[in-house]
Amino acid sequence: MIARERPAELVFRALLRVYPAGFRADYEREMTQIFRDRRREEHGGGSGFWIEVLWDVARSAAAMHADAARAPRNVNNQPRKGTMRRMAILAVLVGLIEVLNASLEGRAGRMNGGDAYSFIGVALGVCAAILLIVAGVALFRRGWSAAGWARVAAIGCAALVVSIRVVQPWMSIFATLLGIGFPIALLLFLYLTKRDGSSMRTTA
Amino acid sequence: MSRERNAQKLAEDHLPLSPATFQVLMALVDDERHGYSIMREATERSDGSVRLGPGTLYGTLKRLLESGLVEEGGERVDPAMGDERRRYYRITDLGMAVARAEARRLDRVVRAARRRKLIGPEPA
Repeated sequence: MIARERPAELVFRALLRVYPAGFRADYEREMTQIFRDRRREEHGGGSGFWIEVLWDVARSAAAMHADAARAPRNVNNQPRKGTMRRMAILAVLVGLIEVLNASLEGRAGRMNGGDAYSFIGVALGVCAAILLIVAGVALFRRGWSAAGWARVAAIGCAALVVSIRVVQPWMSIFATLLGIGFPIALLLFLYLTKRDGSSMRTTA
Repeated sequence: MSRERNAQKLAEDHLPLSPATFQVLMALVDDERHGYSIMREATERSDGSVRLGPGTLYGTLKRLLESGLVEEGGERVDPAMGDERRRYYRITDLGMAVARAEARRLDRVVRAARRRKLIGPEPA
């Protein structure tokens, strides 16, 4: 029997591309099965369901890549262009989550008769998200030659989120952790993969 | 005696466990389960406070398999879940020892918190 894949499942399968190839090869089928089961359980799943899925993918994919980076390297490993692209997609996804979060916080601020501080906070949040998206797109299109720009963008993003936290101390823990944690994870990823030296640059 | 102590030491080397890891091990204590069943058991056991997403669940299972705390138990159909074949996982003896050691560790933490009156007395 050929199963007809629904659009939501196709989106989920596309999201799974951010995981390391080995992990995906082992667990893609089961993860998709679970995604299908959970959607069925939640009668299709609304925006809350998707935010939960995105958060789970972003968090666990970063952990899996960190595990993969710590594992002893095989000289016959596939070139890291694929890993770089997955990290780039993840950066874009996190950037999009930050845009969504900034717009939600902006709306909440307006409903509470928002002041200049809340407007500045939202503007900085969108800037931080754009930096992350730009870093992701640059890494995706240009690979290692864009690593320097990506580092600057990641540092800029983390700095902006810290400044938002100063302007808006009530900023959510989720947004703070994601906004500071992901740029740090990206910097760590670029640092750990750079340790392999010039051979990596030739594969990018 | 010394063998038992060595086994205990080996189990304690894995501590402390992350909440997700402990929940997955606890879900497997009674029976072998497939991924979705582990996820539901963890959610039900924690009254909904622990919700393992697919990425967190399989990342945790991968680490548990690599460290020998869990093993694969083959693939079969779960009649309650339709006709798809599902991979089952079961806890190993080492996994059971680690789960017990973590439960003892958490018990010590809770008792210490009670002594300092951070939480109320144990319900009768």
